[in-house]
Amino acid sequence: MLSIKNLQARIGEKEILKGINLEIKAGEVHAIMGPNGSGKSTLASVLAGREDYEVTGGSVDFLGKDLLDLAPEERAAEGLFLAFQYPVEIPGVSTTNFMKSAVNEIRKYRGEEALDAVQFLKMFKEKMSYVNIDQSLLSRALNEGFSGGEKKRNEIFQMAVLEPKLAILDETDSGLDIDALRIVAEGVNKLKSPDNATIVVTHYQRLLDYIVPDFVHVLYKGKIVKSGGKELALELEERGYDWIISALGE
Amino acid sequence: MLYTELSSATQKEALERFKAKGFPTNKWEEWKYASLKSWNEKDLDWTPASLHESSTASLQTQNGNTTFQGSLPAGVEFISFDAFLASNPALAAKWEQRRPILDQNSLYDLNTALVANTQVLWVKAGVSVVQAITHDFIVSASKASAIQSRLIVFLEADATLTLIERAFTKEGSAEVLSNFVQEIYVSEKANLTYVKEQDLAANTSHIDHTFITQLSDSQVDLFTFSLNAEYLRNNLHFYSDGEHVVSNLNGLYVPGENQLMDSHTVVDHRKPNSESNELYKGVLMGNATGVFNGKIFVRPDAQKTNAFQSCKNVLASTRATMNTKPQLEIWADDVKCSHGTTTGQLNEEALFYLRSRGISLANARTLLLLAFVQEVIDRVTHEETKLRLTDKIISKIQTSLAI
Ligand SMILES: Nc1ncnc2c1ncn2[C@@H]1O[C@H](COP(=O)(O)OP(=O)(O)OP(=O)(O)O)[C@@H](O)[C@H]1O
Ligand SMILES: [Mg+2]
Repeated sequence: MLSIKNLQARIGEKEILKGINLEIKAGEVHAIMGPNGSGKSTLASVLAGREDYEVTGGSVDFLGKDLLDLAPEERAAEGLFLAFQYPVEIPGVSTTNFMKSAVNEIRKYRGEEALDAVQFLKMFKEKMSYVNIDQSLLSRALNEGFSGGEKKRNEIFQMAVLEPKLAILDETDSGLDIDALRIVAEGVNKLKSPDNATIVVTHYQRLLDYIVPDFVHVLYKGKIVKSGGKELALELEERGYDWIISALGE
Repeated sequence: MLYTELSSATQKEALERFKAKGFPTNKWEEWKYASLKSWNEKDLDWTPASLHESSTASLQTQNGNTTFQGSLPAGVEFISFDAFLASNPALAAKWEQRRPILDQNSLYDLNTALVANTQVLWVKAGVSVVQAITHDFIVSASKASAIQSRLIVFLEADATLTLIERAFTKEGSAEVLSNFVQEIYVSEKANLTYVKEQDLAANTSHIDHTFITQLSDSQVDLFTFSLNAEYLRNNLHFYSDGEHVVSNLNGLYVPGENQLMDSHTVVDHRKPNSESNELYKGVLMGNATGVFNGKIFVRPDAQKTNAFQSCKNVLASTRATMNTKPQLEIWADDVKCSHGTTTGQLNEEALFYLRSRGISLANARTLLLLAFVQEVIDRVTHEETKLRLTDKIISKIQTSLAI
């Protein structure tokens, strides 16, 4: 589904991604862990198409298309979704308002009929139940005055509406209380199918108890320095990153 | 060149004053960004032909000639200004005391000199006009013309009125300079809601002078929606001449390619215990030029005045420019005044967020710009007008961004 080869990216003069290689197949869950500032969010942003980052080398194939060649909105229409680590506040624009535009633009891209108001109402209602989110939150200006947890739930609600083929969840667990963590993780699991894949960026093993990864990767200074199964996350929780870093001979 | 066969002494004097100064140029401080210099050299028609466009509006101004169609609501009169003054010595006396501020305004003199027909829309004491009165303001000419129009609106005590003005150019018109003066008198406890929609042709220059005098306990909610014209200048003055006066000024301008829109507002607080709220927003597209100059005067007598002013702009194009100048002159010591102007670009983070959800760049920009202007549109309480303006603004933004 996603094939990243030797991906390098920088912002201004600063090189952040220094040759990432990653293969993801349909049905898989990949966890990406790593110390603060190692480049996890940068990788997520580059995949979603943020233009602040300059890709200086490598390639990304997504379902047979050159991902780096597509505009952010085309990537979304092709089935890529990013749940932001820090969702932006947009005064005057409510979630329901822009999600209607988003859904119908994507449907148009795929040659599907636009949904009408009644169909939206029904669909939103169903998806709201996935993450136990309230209508009143969706009618408010996006993220304005939302609590940390509300912002994250809203991200997963959007994911549920868009039903992406590949979802990248950037620290969706941070800021969630214990119950919310379980609810959000259950929502993500509900959306899982043999046809889609998920990348979970996290610092904590806790989330991985709910969303069980097939692979765990450690990103350090812009490179994936270690990969393993779900037991790697348990080992990291216990031992931290030092043993991996010192094995690199730095 | 200029028509000089004038009947009254007032007109003759006004014409001499205009001739001495001519059209404003960019050397005049108040017209720095909105020069009309080129009009001094044009061969103009000063007495445009009469116009008879079909319109369903009750109040119609067609090339300067204002008429009222259909039956007048109870308690409303529509008569010539001279007849109004002659038959109402008491009201005429009040009128004389309104003291408009006319500095650097040669166009007011030009209007006084050449205006052919001045009518008064007069709402009697205690009368609440239930239905909004629509006013179609239409200009059209077969050769380059200067068109003068003038309207007086007089609200007696306790009267209530909603006016919806739609200014536009008839299709196919030659170049027009439309010079429109409105003097509005809002007596004690009267209420006026006034929505102006300015949607004129790409070869029309429209100068709107709206001077509003307010007496105690009156309220005015004024909206200026500037959609299209080659050149639009709004001189909007509020003379707050009583206590507990509320003056709400709302403005939205969305100039695009080759358009200039200039809002010059004056709020003159002359008496204590009154408030004014000014909210202006602009979206500048293409190579548009915008100007906002907001003056607030708080005279020595006007203690306990609350005066607020805010002007926010988005430059939706790298070629657009915005000039803002708030000017507060406060002579009283116990007042609350605040002002703030901002001019910026669309938030890149927000644009990326929306695009990451599948919304195209053009639609994401439109969505953010609409969210930005919504605050002003939402204050319009006349539903039909609000819907029409929303549609017009969406299509204006979409077409301007597509260039
Ligand atoms: N706009 C920017 N300008 C300069 N440096 C940046 C910019 N964005 C990211 N960086 C730098 O790139 C590096 C990687 O940042 P990134 O956000 O990808 O880290 P991360 O692995 O997601 O960290 P965290 O776990 O704290 O979320 C950091 O050193 C960061 O300061
Ligand atoms: Mg991060």
